[in-house]
Amino acid sequence: MQLKNIDRGGAVLAIAVLAILPLVFDSRYLIGVLTVAAIYGIWSVSWDFMSGLTGRENFGHSLFIGVGAYTAGFLNTVWSMNAWWSLPASVVMAVVFALIMGIPTLRLKGPYFALAMLSGAVIMQRLMLIFWEYTGGEEGINGIEPLIRSPLHFYWFVLAVLVVTTVVLVALARSRWGLILKAIRGDEATCQSAGLNVTFYKIASLVISAGVAGMGGALYAHYQLQVSPQLFAVVTSITIITMVYVGGMASIYGAIGGALLLTLMTELLRNFGEWRLMVYSVALILILFYLPQGLVAPTWERLRRSLSGGRS
Amino acid sequence: MLEIVIFGAVTSAIYAMLAVGFTLIFGVARILNLAHGSFYALGAYGAYVLTSIAGLPLVVATPLVVLGVALFGMGVERVLIRPMRKSQLAVLMISLAVALVVEQALFLIFGSEYRNVPSFVDTKLNIGGVDVAGQRLLTLVVAVAAIGALYAFIQRTRLGSAILAISQDPEAAQYMGIPSDRIFGVVMALSAGLAALAGIMAGPFLSVQPSMHLLPIVKAFAIVVVGGLGSIPGSIVAALMLGYAETLVAYGISTSWTEIVSVAATLLMLVLRPAGFFGKRAAF
Amino acid sequence: MFGHPISKRAFTQAAAAIAASAAMLPVMAQQAPIKIGLTTAVQLQVGRDTQDAARIAIDEVNAKGGVLGRKLSFVVADETENPETGINAIKKLTADEKVDVIVGGYTSGVTLAQLPHITSAKTIYLGVGAASPAITAKVKQDYETNKYIFRVGPINAAHQARSLTEWISGHLLGELGLKRIAIIGENAKWVQDLVPILRKGATEAGADVRFVELFDTSTSDFSPLLSKIRSSEAQFLVVILSHASSDVFAKQWYDARFPIPYGGIDVKSMDNDFFNRVGGKSISQLAANFAVRAPLTPKTQPFFDEFKKRTGRVPVYTAFGTYDAIHAYAQAVERAKSTDTNTVIKELEKTSMVGIAGQIEFDETHDVKAGGKFMNMLFVQWQANGERAVIWPKALRSGTMIMPPWLSK
Repeated sequence: MQLKNIDRGGAVLAIAVLAILPLVFDSRYLIGVLTVAAIYGIWSVSWDFMSGLTGRENFGHSLFIGVGAYTAGFLNTVWSMNAWWSLPASVVMAVVFALIMGIPTLRLKGPYFALAMLSGAVIMQRLMLIFWEYTGGEEGINGIEPLIRSPLHFYWFVLAVLVVTTVVLVALARSRWGLILKAIRGDEATCQSAGLNVTFYKIASLVISAGVAGMGGALYAHYQLQVSPQLFAVVTSITIITMVYVGGMASIYGAIGGALLLTLMTELLRNFGEWRLMVYSVALILILFYLPQGLVAPTWERLRRSLSGGRS
Repeated sequence: MLEIVIFGAVTSAIYAMLAVGFTLIFGVARILNLAHGSFYALGAYGAYVLTSIAGLPLVVATPLVVLGVALFGMGVERVLIRPMRKSQLAVLMISLAVALVVEQALFLIFGSEYRNVPSFVDTKLNIGGVDVAGQRLLTLVVAVAAIGALYAFIQRTRLGSAILAISQDPEAAQYMGIPSDRIFGVVMALSAGLAALAGIMAGPFLSVQPSMHLLPIVKAFAIVVVGGLGSIPGSIVAALMLGYAETLVAYGISTSWTEIVSVAATLLMLVLRPAGFFGKRAAF
Repeated sequence: MFGHPISKRAFTQAAAAIAASAAMLPVMAQQAPIKIGLTTAVQLQVGRDTQDAARIAIDEVNAKGGVLGRKLSFVVADETENPETGINAIKKLTADEKVDVIVGGYTSGVTLAQLPHITSAKTIYLGVGAASPAITAKVKQDYETNKYIFRVGPINAAHQARSLTEWISGHLLGELGLKRIAIIGENAKWVQDLVPILRKGATEAGADVRFVELFDTSTSDFSPLLSKIRSSEAQFLVVILSHASSDVFAKQWYDARFPIPYGGIDVKSMDNDFFNRVGGKSISQLAANFAVRAPLTPKTQPFFDEFKKRTGRVPVYTAFGTYDAIHAYAQAVERAKSTDTNTVIKELEKTSMVGIAGQIEFDETHDVKAGGKFMNMLFVQWQANGERAVIWPKALRSGTMIMPPWLSK
């Protein structure tokens, strides 16, 4: 499937709008919301790359996010290192954890893989609480420095990271790599007998997914200026999965739309603060039922078809 | 120490009630029901509502709550899970979503503060020098009775045989004219009812707050994986193992480590022997 | 052509009217209310009482004409007990609602996470619920960045530790002759700050501290812990609880007819309906409270009565802090004759006001002073039928202390 000019045009337009929005409204609040949405976008896109393509739903994505965030936290406060070191460090740590968790569990199928990853995240969360003397326990690590002082510039930076990551992942997905991952989802045994090193591809995709998520975690740490065990919680993973479902599984770019939609929805519902998770859960149920293909990507597909006059 | 033996038994009993229901619905219908913890929560809250707000005596409230939650479980299976049965993962996700919805509903209605579920017995017994609350011992007794009754039901009745048949060979059962769909509903009801009963019994001495469904489901899943998905005896054995492991850790090291015990056990089992101890069908 | 020209008189009248309206404009613009942002755990008693106390204080100030001719108004943001939600609450209050001052707080961990976001928004923050000294310590460490932070209540964890020590020394040791004590607390920041000070103080006062443990806040089965305490042969169990399952603890303590009486700091026990919530199982528990309906200051009893009249409840400690904070802020703005943040901060520092539980004054770290004429900690016991009696300090004693029913034989 070729990337048409219309796809490129659409992407450029979307990016431009996102970048200019805060300038139009001149609201610090909006910048904050968009920054969080962009970070969730990074997490969702990374999840979709691995789980969407291979069909191995990872219920423990929060593990990589938390690891990245805590790495940033430690480097910045305990070891007083410059905030920019967080980015590569968080990627490295997340990759390490991906290997530790991934290698033994990737041979498991469907729900079992999901729950094995979930267990990993839960264990990390618990460990953060148990070793509270080193990790700050329930309250986590405070006093992290912002990466870029100006909220607007930081937002643009995060947006840039999101765009670059998405472009790279989409490119990978459309390449031979992506083809193999989708084939693995279809029938792993056949792939194996065809001589493909299935294990390598599965682990590699998990590693890439984790690295990106970890970096997102570091960005989040330098935005919230604080990390807590909540980052490892199941809720974080579920929120991301919901965003991907809304965006359209395996589309990768759709996840960004999902992240934006759901983050904005959260803010709008803030007056009904307690209802947020309820809405998420109900939304998830409705989507699973009525929109198994998601909302954003299918809509774009339809739009693009009608715009290009039915020749797709 | 006698203390560990007794408290370990009580803990194992509660876990067994949860695990047996969980493994039953999986063994029969291949449904990994992450909303199972919600049945436990609804049991406790149901008892709270009927006793504190409606003023009913606990003896009357209990069967009503158990029945109510059982019907709720049946409804969830019929309306939300059955249409999704093609994909095990979709079932997992939707059951998770149900669990979240229930948690949020409880949170919105009752607030996040702990609620008081009354006990059946308020006495304290002294067994061999160990002070044990009467309610805890009663829980142990009820658990044994309930699981025993369930086991007898499955072994001795026609409906029970149908359930066994489906769990052993779904297709053959279908050819024999056994209405699988309806049976799934019944099994879900039994599973939910048992979980609710656990909630009513343990509610008085454990915490009753909206997120109380999380830990039980993690433990139930751990036990079921260790014992072997679909095996009732396996769940009972694993429940005992886990219950005692946790109690030993709690008394020996500290309570902070108990949660990790179950989750680590799950992970280890999944990695080393996905079929569990007694499992017939592996996780592959 | 255009009819009657405007007469000179009419013109003058019109001009006068316009001039008068123009002069009124700045006054009318000033009528925009001063916005107070409340951040609290909305779902809990501490949160509900924060809001209700705020309403009472705001109504009182507005009834007297407001502050500098402007009324006070408030908005609420839920910070729950979770740092991330707390940070979002601050962002909402500062960037979106653009409040003039923030009042609230409950969990120390949440407040600590919120601090950098509050100071970067250069908004005054008056804490009413979090006790960790780390919150105000930053004021001294870096005044220019953190001068916005104040704590009006409660007295910080270090002060609380000293109050507890006094109680252990004067009451447990002095009056009851109980020497061996056990100390347990939830593993939260403020407890981590408090317990070492308490342990040292109690030992120096002559107590024999047999057992100390901090347990996981989410613990729901206390049997192992109770068992260890029992083996330590302590005669009294001092607890430090706020977010943990006080309800469950009370029930399990009672169900096991635990042979050791307990008491200390138990925030949930401050709740009016705690006794009923646990089915009466907290009987004989001694819990710290910061004010009761007694003439601690001229404002105490009227406040309790007004609160009861409006809500039917007895207020918990965040109510006192909130009420005092809003009055302190209003007075500071009046003295400063402006809402300019820096000027108001200078006036706040000079606060010397009658509060609900004692005189309100701030020390050099913007932390409320404790002891003597300032705020003190009272020890209140749950007795039969959910009645509460002040047992300590002796000067305020309102009843006789009881032992757990199964021990009084």
